[in-house]
Amino acid sequence: MGGLRHLLTPRGDRIIFWCWLGLCLMSLAILWSVTEPIIGPYEDVDPGVPKSVFWRQLTWALVGYVGLVVASRVPLRHLDNLSPVPWLVSLLLLLLVPVFGPVISGARRWLVFGPVSLQPAELAKVSCIILNASLLARGVDSQRKSLATGFSLLLTAIPALMVMKQPDLGTSLVFWAAWVGMIFWFGMPGIFLLVAASGVASAVIMFYSDTVAHQAWPWGAYLLLLLGVLYWVRWSIPAKVTMLAVSVLSGIAVPVVWSGLKGYQQDRVMAWFRPAEHAFSAGYQGLQSKVAIGSGGLFGTHYLKGTQKGLAFLPERQTDFIFSVVGEELGFVGALVVVALFFVMILRGVDHAAAVRKPFTRFLAVGIVSYLAFHVVVNISITTGLMPVTGIPLPLMSYGGSNLLVTSAMVGLLLNVSSKSFDA
Amino acid sequence: MNQGDFIFRHAILRTVIIVAFAILVANLFHLTVVRHSFYQDQALENRQDRFRVRAPRGRIHDRDGNLLVANQYIADIIVPRKCLTPAGPDSTLGKLIEWFGLDRWETLDRLEQQSSRKDQLILVPDASPSRIFTVEERGRELPGVKVVTRSRRQYLFGPLFAHAIGYVGEIGRAALDSMETVYAQGDYIGKLGIEEAMEPLLRGSAGIKLEEVNAAGRIVGRKPVWVRDVVPGTDVEVTLSLRLQQRLAASIGDRPGCAVALDVRTGEVLAAYASPAFDPNVMGGSLTTVQWNALVEDPGKPLFNRITQATYPPASIFKTITSLAGLAGGHVTVNSSLDPCGGGWNYGGRYFRCHKREGHGWLDHTGAMMQSCDTFYYQLGMRLQVDELAAAARAFGLGSRVTSEFSDEVRGNVPDTDWYNKHVGKGKWSRGVLMNTSIGQGELLVTPIQMAVVAGRIASSGTMPDPTFVRSPTPVRRQPKPLPFRAEHLAWVREAMRRTVAEGTGRAARLKTVEVAGKTGTAQNPHGEDHAWFMCFAPASMPEVALAIVMENAGGGGSVAAPIAGDFLKAYFHEDEADSAAVPVEVPADLTVEAD
Repeated sequence: MGGLRHLLTPRGDRIIFWCWLGLCLMSLAILWSVTEPIIGPYEDVDPGVPKSVFWRQLTWALVGYVGLVVASRVPLRHLDNLSPVPWLVSLLLLLLVPVFGPVISGARRWLVFGPVSLQPAELAKVSCIILNASLLARGVDSQRKSLATGFSLLLTAIPALMVMKQPDLGTSLVFWAAWVGMIFWFGMPGIFLLVAASGVASAVIMFYSDTVAHQAWPWGAYLLLLLGVLYWVRWSIPAKVTMLAVSVLSGIAVPVVWSGLKGYQQDRVMAWFRPAEHAFSAGYQGLQSKVAIGSGGLFGTHYLKGTQKGLAFLPERQTDFIFSVVGEELGFVGALVVVALFFVMILRGVDHAAAVRKPFTRFLAVGIVSYLAFHVVVNISITTGLMPVTGIPLPLMSYGGSNLLVTSAMVGLLLNVSSKSFDA
Repeated sequence: MNQGDFIFRHAILRTVIIVAFAILVANLFHLTVVRHSFYQDQALENRQDRFRVRAPRGRIHDRDGNLLVANQYIADIIVPRKCLTPAGPDSTLGKLIEWFGLDRWETLDRLEQQSSRKDQLILVPDASPSRIFTVEERGRELPGVKVVTRSRRQYLFGPLFAHAIGYVGEIGRAALDSMETVYAQGDYIGKLGIEEAMEPLLRGSAGIKLEEVNAAGRIVGRKPVWVRDVVPGTDVEVTLSLRLQQRLAASIGDRPGCAVALDVRTGEVLAAYASPAFDPNVMGGSLTTVQWNALVEDPGKPLFNRITQATYPPASIFKTITSLAGLAGGHVTVNSSLDPCGGGWNYGGRYFRCHKREGHGWLDHTGAMMQSCDTFYYQLGMRLQVDELAAAARAFGLGSRVTSEFSDEVRGNVPDTDWYNKHVGKGKWSRGVLMNTSIGQGELLVTPIQMAVVAGRIASSGTMPDPTFVRSPTPVRRQPKPLPFRAEHLAWVREAMRRTVAEGTGRAARLKTVEVAGKTGTAQNPHGEDHAWFMCFAPASMPEVALAIVMENAGGGGSVAAPIAGDFLKAYFHEDEADSAAVPVEVPADLTVEAD
């Protein structure tokens, strides 16, 4: 009995598992709605998304459950030792994508094996986290933390840049989100954080000056302010110079990177700054998503009765904008349930990361939590208009087999880690 | 790495996550609760489209209840403008061209010719059921392609009422701009005749409905919400008679000319026909440039509304007015005899001929009228003042508009002292102009409908109201100013006109059972053959109907115009059985104007 139970159920934190199950069921319920004709005073309306989407997601959820159970029970020691293997496999698959992958809506992201399409980028994300956890765990108590940091940067940059070239900007950012979380855990001096923050601030202000306001003074004012602050603080001269250099360089890099972006990417960012001008072009998706969520109100328009969803005003409602359907049909309350399930899962993951003893498990947990948090926060920010539109799915909810399987496996690893924290 | 660091980082990580999620939830609350009504309106605006529904235009009946103008519902297949580029074989347009077996280049040409202001182009006007079925069936493959039904104006008698009733055409930019609340682009508006005059009644009022649509713009709602109901146009009953109009048109045939018949008691226009006519069915919308040019350049001028727009010298039929002016001024009596006619009259060193070269000899006033002796009227004219004759002409409505319905009516010309001073020059003209004016020539110009009014006013001693084309819903009755002539003088003119038909120049208009009174005229035309005039009324003793006819370049009034009047009056008084029953809904083939 015991052996069978081990094979069929995950171990570890029950609450995280229930959150996973709740989100999967929520996803299936919403995908059922997305693939049903709208209920209301309408002639038979084509939902626009085939029912097969629901059945495929159901199948992948079952596969994902298996992945979750396996990941929760796999000995983490072996995973640590074999960590370069999945990284190398995923790198190989990423290399195959530009050669064999079909072009789907302007990008090569998939590898097709008969009836199954896989996104190697999803595998690359999890394997990159595992490899970084292994690497940082080995470097955490040594005297060469900078070397470990630089090496992990390189190991992350390789798959991230390959994904960015597909092109898939959103997914490539996920690599960096997980890396930043793990490096933070690894231990960065406070001054690193401040330098990084000043670089980000400089880039944002430069972008505003250059592209939105078409005036030089905001960035100039920022630099003057920074010089003033650096004059007053009592830091070492190299630290001050580094900070100034990072600010100036990141500011100068913005126009270069901006001009390197694709036209549609530029439009989406501009649409976020000026939604009214782009209401029917680049801003359309973001606007329709806000309309869907906003029209839902406190309790929603009712399951199966959302007009933004049912009459196809909401784009990508089965994938990136599935959260908008939750907002429209189930309202603030339904959206809050989804947010809460993610919140509990992520926050408990952070707690487990702090509670386990082995460095590898700590970094693994932090990487997974960073990955999940980035996905959830960015996706929901996009659907609610806090960020420009970019292709980031909502983990466990958005339709897509690779993402569901990989995310379930990551949750399984988190469960695996949590079982160690109970041991402790 | 010490444990304290971890506790600190754990706290930071927790805080970051809590803050991020708190922002998400706060923003969600803002969207769904605080700004809920705004986004709810946006969602409603997304899925509701306003549609304007045109009102069916009022129909037009004749005075006996015969339907003259109706509406026919037809379906057009519409493609959006963006279909034009690119028009590959797999494109929406390419598919339609293939399925319908259309000629590719001809179709593209035709679509491109349609107004650049429009976003919706008519691919197939008046589509057949099988093509409509194709579009309805395979709509999913044809984004933006629609079947739009519209009502087409149907003129059941083709050219028969072309000028009197007019036609409808697409509203022009200027009219659209000035009446934005009433019309929309693509609306049809009355362009001539009754269609134009009764436009405010006939057009009704368009309705507005809200339909639920999906993101592709296809209507998916089961039931529209009406914001404003459609108010159908009001049916109009005209004073015209199908039977009499058909008879008049048949008598005139395809010769250029015009005739107007009035009911003397009411001023109602019983028949008004101008020849050649055009087919109003082809005027609105579907007319090609080639067809339009052919109509415009036709030497017979079918588009020219002779009823109210053509001006001619009235010639001898004006002698009735010259006589009345002479009688009113006391220059002659009903029995006066002037110098005998020797075939003409000398004035100012110039010899003015009578139409009868050998002369009429001695004639009294009645005889002069009956024989239409120019010599008598030259002498009478010289006894009058220029403004005296002009005033008499104006008293009958000459020189002014006589209908209230026709916006295109012209006034003609009644020359008086002011007119000559202005157009010839002060001191450069003399009373000699009266030599021409008194016999209805010279600068005097009248329209056919004005002369019908003259006949009716003489017949009714001036009591006939202004001519009107509308009986219902709101008949127009405009009482005229009383004529400044004595009753016995008018009675004498009527008697003279009766004798003109009975034994004078108008004998061709005689009937078996009813006495007709009339006056012939032959207008000298410097550009060609003379115009033939005839005006009359009947019965002579108690007039019911008055008629004026002008036939262009046709010759003498007595021989050309009077027989048409006789034919018409036979029909009016049911003198022959053959025509007593009008044949409704049958367009005489010989009246169809071919644009060639």
